[in-house]
Amino acid sequence: MPQAGKGRLNYRCPACFIRELDIDMFYDKEKKEYYCLRCPFTGTEEEVLKLNEMAKFRYKAMMERITDFD
Amino acid sequence: MKDTFILNILHRPEMVPEYAEKVTGQGKKEDIGRKELLTESLDIFKLQQEIAHQHGLKTTIQMTYSSLFNDEAISLAKEHHEKYGDEISLTLLGLPCKEFREKYKTKDFCIWMFSMEDKKAIVRDVFEKFHDIFGFYPQSTGSYYMDAELINFIKQEYPSVKCAVATCWEEGPKAYRTCNNSWYTFMDGGPWNPWIPSKANSHAPATNEEEDSGIVAIPHLSRDLLACFDGNGSNFGTHPQNVLRGMIYKDGKYPYLYNLIDQYRHLAKYNRGYAYNMMFVGPGWMNKAGRWEAPYELLVQSYRDCMAYYAELRDKGELVDMTMAEFADWYRANKTYTQPECALWKDILYGSEKQLFWYCDPYYRTCVDMNQGGAIVDLRPYAAKLEIPVGIGTGNVHDASYPFLVQSMYRAGYFTHYAGEGSIKSCKVSYKGEEADLCLCRTKAKFSEEGNDRILTLDPVDIEFSDLTFKVTTRFIFSEGSSEIKISRIITDMSNPDAKVHINEYITACYGTTEYPEDMNGIVLRCRGKEEEKEIVYAYKCREESVKDAAAVEAVVPQVKTKMTVYPVKGTFEGYFREGYAFSPMFTLGLNTELSNNEEMITCLKLEKVD
Ligand SMILES: [Zn+2]
Repeated sequence: MPQAGKGRLNYRCPACFIRELDIDMFYDKEKKEYYCLRCPFTGTEEEVLKLNEMAKFRYKAMMERITDFD
Repeated sequence: MKDTFILNILHRPEMVPEYAEKVTGQGKKEDIGRKELLTESLDIFKLQQEIAHQHGLKTTIQMTYSSLFNDEAISLAKEHHEKYGDEISLTLLGLPCKEFREKYKTKDFCIWMFSMEDKKAIVRDVFEKFHDIFGFYPQSTGSYYMDAELINFIKQEYPSVKCAVATCWEEGPKAYRTCNNSWYTFMDGGPWNPWIPSKANSHAPATNEEEDSGIVAIPHLSRDLLACFDGNGSNFGTHPQNVLRGMIYKDGKYPYLYNLIDQYRHLAKYNRGYAYNMMFVGPGWMNKAGRWEAPYELLVQSYRDCMAYYAELRDKGELVDMTMAEFADWYRANKTYTQPECALWKDILYGSEKQLFWYCDPYYRTCVDMNQGGAIVDLRPYAAKLEIPVGIGTGNVHDASYPFLVQSMYRAGYFTHYAGEGSIKSCKVSYKGEEADLCLCRTKAKFSEEGNDRILTLDPVDIEFSDLTFKVTTRFIFSEGSSEIKISRIITDMSNPDAKVHINEYITACYGTTEYPEDMNGIVLRCRGKEEEKEIVYAYKCREESVKDAAAVEAVVPQVKTKMTVYPVKGTFEGYFREGYAFSPMFTLGLNTELSNNEEMITCLKLEKVD
């Protein structure tokens, strides 16, 4: 397999993101998957997008427009 | 003062944006003179300026070294100054370019990390070049961090400078780690809102004219005072693309960004009507290739939306946009040296009711966590005005953080694994063998002012023992210019009005700038009674001493030139100290007493410089 490159967008590893690490993933064209250089995570674009949504589980007020700051 | 919410918008024509070369240039051999890179960078700057001007917002154009070699960038700056009243300023960010690398023979780009000799040479170089081009010296400058020696040198050589971007709030070990241990901005421990830096340490505000470095410092971005304290600073600030980086959006909507701005506006309530925001997005964050999973369109849209919101506030008369130099004048005219910066800040992200209170003045910075019963979870002794030279050749290349005595994220706090203690200031109540730490009593607080006192009053918390129930009400009194924090505790609603409750008011502390323990040898722990005095020098021996009828208990921490004292203000106390041990590299200072129903005790924590 030739060297890996970047995919369509520059996805970060969702497993690392959840532990507060921003790490670019690289794309393996043959296996059609993204993979992390640091942890063993691999995933398709679809999986990555889904996991990115999941990472927002802690942001319960993310879509709320807050008006009371007291 | 009528409520004033001031906004500084900064743009920089960065000819080689941070990230662009590493990220969008992936798969190409490094070439920072690449034509596409220069064109794209300038286009982003133009777009940012255009968006601001569409909304009638004034900007501060921070020319970079590299942009001083670009005719188009120069003429744009001149034109926008004429047409829109933008300030032409000079940043020490954006040094990298062919010319810089050839001249200084280095790829370094963070001004505070250069040797003092290089700092001087670079400052002279860029300031003189700026003067040659524009015919005047700039009134403002900045970087992610500006160390005191650098500020002092600039002020001495170029007295026209009155404002500088001087720190990124709580960008330290956390940001380093988030960037896979490759982003060297160690600068925790500073103010979150503008301040006048002291000549000794730019994080520590000046106490008086003599200590005044001569500039007004502004933070790089206005950051979430709760999310950034425990998370990556670069996800939670007035930087729309940082919010995208944090993945705090859905379907192209990011109400969190507006909530953050609004909470900053709300801080006017705690600061006699004054509130502030700073926005400074480097061009690398709006590049055509997108930024991580955010496509270009979303990056630009978020910028447009943020500016539109600021403009909407301005149109309603709720925001004033200023250039940096204008702001410095305003700040000098409206603030005094000792006037603190206060922020009762609530969680706007996780949907909890967690609340922190931040306080900063020339003597200390501290944070009170209402979710832990009003425990002090961060304490930085600005009174020590520590001189901490940073950069190559100083023996300290990287660490520009102002040291803490308490930092319960880096040094455990209430909860530790298995053994030992963490750094925190709290209070334990006990009765007939049962004990509770107020750290486990979640509550909320209200802010008030009386004369020169800022008062934080916590809602009463309930304590339930098998034989007794009661309430504890805590008040923190921050007296302006005193270098002291007074803490009042009152017991009420006792189920048995004749009972007496034992109170242990304690602070467990250490020192440092990172998560890792430091050498505690040499710290002096002392109890002073009315009749006797006991003292030890720290040696990890797990020793403990106490005196009856204490006048004070103190720790002298020579490593950070600080004396911390706790002493009784109201009530009679036994004073004690506890040395730590290897698995618990902390020390504890405490005051013990007994309280009856409706009785109040007051203790005080004081910070002083020792040489
Ligand atoms: Zn990973």
